[in-house]
Amino acid sequence: MTVESTTTPTVPSGTAPVLVAEGVTKRFGGLVALSDVSLEVPHRSIVGLVGPNGAGKSTLFAVLSGLLRPDKGAVELGGVDVTGHSPQKRARRGLARTFQQPELFLSLNVREHLVLAHRMRYERNRLWRDMFDVRATIRKNADEDAHVDGLLKQLGLTSIAHTSVASLPLGTSRLVEVGRALASSPSVLLLDEPLSGLDARESEQLAGILSKIVRQGDQDVSLLFVEHDVATVLALSDTIYVLDFGEVIASGLPDEIRASEAVKAAYLGVPATDEAEGEVSS
Amino acid sequence: MLQYVIAGLVLGGIYAIASSGLVITYVSSGILNFAFGALAYFIARLYYYLLVTQNMGIVVSAILSIVVAGPLIGVALYFALFRFLRLSSPLIKVVATLGLLVSIPALATVIFGSGAILKAPGLAPEPVHVYNVAGVAVTLDQVIVYICVVLIVVLGALIMKKTDVGLKVRAMVDSPAMTELSGTNPGAVSVGVWAVSMFFAGLAGVLAAPIIGLDPGNFTLLVAAAFAAVVAARLRSLPIAVAVGLAMGVATSLIQYFLPTSSNWTTEVIDAVPFAFIAVFVVYHLFRKRDLSESQRVGGALDSAITPQGESQMAGAAGGDLQGSSLGFIGRYGGPIVLIAIASLLPLIVEGLWVGLMAQAFAYAIIFLSFTMVTGEGGMIWLCEITFAGLGGLITAQLATSHGWPVLLAVLAGGLIVLPIGLLVGLLTIRLGGLYVALITLTFGLLVENLVFTLGMFTNGGLGANVNRPAWASTDLQFCYLALAVFAIIALFIMNLRRSTTGLAMSAVRWSEPGAKTLGVSTVGMKIMIAGLASFVAAIGGGFLVTAQTSAQPAEFSTFIGVIWLAVLVTFGVRSNTAALLAGISYALFPAITLAYLPSWTVQIPTLLFGLGAIGVAKFPNGTLAQNGEIFRGWLLKRAGKKAQAEPGSLAPPEGPPSEPQPPARLGVSS
Repeated sequence: MTVESTTTPTVPSGTAPVLVAEGVTKRFGGLVALSDVSLEVPHRSIVGLVGPNGAGKSTLFAVLSGLLRPDKGAVELGGVDVTGHSPQKRARRGLARTFQQPELFLSLNVREHLVLAHRMRYERNRLWRDMFDVRATIRKNADEDAHVDGLLKQLGLTSIAHTSVASLPLGTSRLVEVGRALASSPSVLLLDEPLSGLDARESEQLAGILSKIVRQGDQDVSLLFVEHDVATVLALSDTIYVLDFGEVIASGLPDEIRASEAVKAAYLGVPATDEAEGEVSS
Repeated sequence: MLQYVIAGLVLGGIYAIASSGLVITYVSSGILNFAFGALAYFIARLYYYLLVTQNMGIVVSAILSIVVAGPLIGVALYFALFRFLRLSSPLIKVVATLGLLVSIPALATVIFGSGAILKAPGLAPEPVHVYNVAGVAVTLDQVIVYICVVLIVVLGALIMKKTDVGLKVRAMVDSPAMTELSGTNPGAVSVGVWAVSMFFAGLAGVLAAPIIGLDPGNFTLLVAAAFAAVVAARLRSLPIAVAVGLAMGVATSLIQYFLPTSSNWTTEVIDAVPFAFIAVFVVYHLFRKRDLSESQRVGGALDSAITPQGESQMAGAAGGDLQGSSLGFIGRYGGPIVLIAIASLLPLIVEGLWVGLMAQAFAYAIIFLSFTMVTGEGGMIWLCEITFAGLGGLITAQLATSHGWPVLLAVLAGGLIVLPIGLLVGLLTIRLGGLYVALITLTFGLLVENLVFTLGMFTNGGLGANVNRPAWASTDLQFCYLALAVFAIIALFIMNLRRSTTGLAMSAVRWSEPGAKTLGVSTVGMKIMIAGLASFVAAIGGGFLVTAQTSAQPAEFSTFIGVIWLAVLVTFGVRSNTAALLAGISYALFPAITLAYLPSWTVQIPTLLFGLGAIGVAKFPNGTLAQNGEIFRGWLLKRAGKKAQAEPGSLAPPEGPPSEPQPPARLGVSS
């Protein structure tokens, strides 16, 4: 697959990473889902997270987004320790995410998803004020319309903007989730298997859109995404982390990951040599 | 004291049998059968009919009712109702069983005749033989209860652990989908489980009848008490349910031993004990950070994977095609406007006592709007809205009559006093799943009913309190339109709420809490807000109801009646303001029409129909009004489509980029 602009990331030198996980450990009873996991998402970059099923990717996303509290370790967002913060607080600090199984609001239409996300970011006071204001539902907000309609157009959702999400196929539901996440103008976007359920052409389009938003968009946004399609991850990412059995077994540039024996071992079941593992683990 | 322990073991044994029946159907089908008490009553009433009226003898009557009729009812209910509920939301499951709870006693009255039977025979022949055990009198009826409990525990354990049938049932509990893939028919297992559960219901009913009489209210109360054991077992563990059931019976009996027999409060406190147990168990589980949501309910990973998000949800997803602007104002609002106009003109058309009933109908409609908010919009199953209405009504009466407040100010004060109570209940139930919320709010309602509504200041020796209407709205007709105006204001508020940012956030919380949280929506804040608003509206409605009736009687706000209210509303549609209005009118007028114009045996027909309507949510989750509205809008759209074909260009689908996915056509719902 071809993806736009996979060249050098535009990370400003000296800019602190927007999202950092430091030594995160998460246990469920006797099961260690994450063990001392550390990763960084640099400013305006795309970071891929790969690993076999059960490696702990979704658990890590839950910890990063605040849905799970780590047993050990810390999470920093924009330089602030948010380890004890709720998902709501993290969202207000600019973190947005999508889910492996789309978590849509089935009584809302496509546009309403984006409108709600936009308002939660820019007009939070409307959450409590609007119910007493009969004009609120008819009053136009040019900024909101421009932002929401622009995103709908960018994602190719304009013609189904007023369609209930309950009737959408899986691939389109994922696009709506991505749109909803982007509508909150996040500084970090976590995408959990965004391409799953899309056909090859749709995957290519979405990957291109995400790449464009991060690298050429007006907004400062970084991307951390989980994806099983390793080819896409290698093509799209600036940096890649590989998880296996809850541990980071490799991290580095796409070419380094491609050559990593540890990664091949994790995916193919071939034992890795200590030497090979040491070459790419940071 | 030994006498009390022995008596407590009898009560506990009946709790244990009932909780066993509740647990096995929950673990195998995800349905907590709120109608278990009503079904136990029905089978016990059948036993009484066969034994006393038909004089068939104990053995034949017991076999026909408990062994034959009970399981047959279970099988029939499975095929007619429960098999359709497997993938439904907890809300629909609860409402459908509440429909049964409402309709079964009414059906029993239609079949067997009315009137509570205070003294009913058990399984022991009359006169009941009394044994002397260590100086304590033990009746044969009590011995039979002990034997039944032991048999159920021993046989149950053997069947579950040692037989092929037990293996299949346990497999179903873990994963119905995997069980089916392994070649077992889950339907056949479910039929068996429902048959056994109804056998337990019949047994519990017949064993309990000599103790509590044959009264449907007592049976519902008994099984509501058994819910404490089910909550302790977190809905799943049979041994814990049996053990807690037994322990609770003994504890209740011992508390009775220590309380003064002369106190008026003793009976109320005894009745409230199981509900206090429920509250204690929920707090205990929450303190231990145990999961009390339905996410850990039935099935495994495969079952979760094949269950689509929001499948069969009540008040479900609004389809875009018919909800959109293509139908225009008339298409969307024409039906409700016509219905509201007719309802508004009714007080002018009818005469005499019917005008007064219309005033009550509009007051009921205000109360029903509280269900529209908390259940329709919030998606929370609250069974104590009637308690808030009762508190509002009783506070209104106290302030207006005893303290001389202007009645409308008293109504408002009642709403404001109840508001924090609603907020508190909302806060306490915030971490609970839908079923537990239903159980806790039911418990709260029964506790208030037993401990607060029985206070002398409210009952006034059975006379209640008189409430005078405001001078400028003293006639039935004037008060009718006052109540209708208040209904309209609250309905408009709900309409605005639904379309506002608040409404969007409420929908978000309702459909996906993780999704809402990661968007920055406070799920706690939204839920508490809707709980508070709904309790306020219920209390205002309660104030208007007692003012319409010009008297406040606590007995009119019993929790069981609240279940009927919910059944009436969901029959029409739990998300629709128009449905609330029609439900209010139906609830106020149908029984009166039956009494005035139909034979006496039909008096239970309205209740039966309301119950059947609630059962109908299994088929029409959004209620009959929304269903018919959907058909009407579909007809309009079809007509518009034909017109569009004749006039190319109009109502043409919007053009999108060629790559865009096109959603499948789907009928939608709006209210």
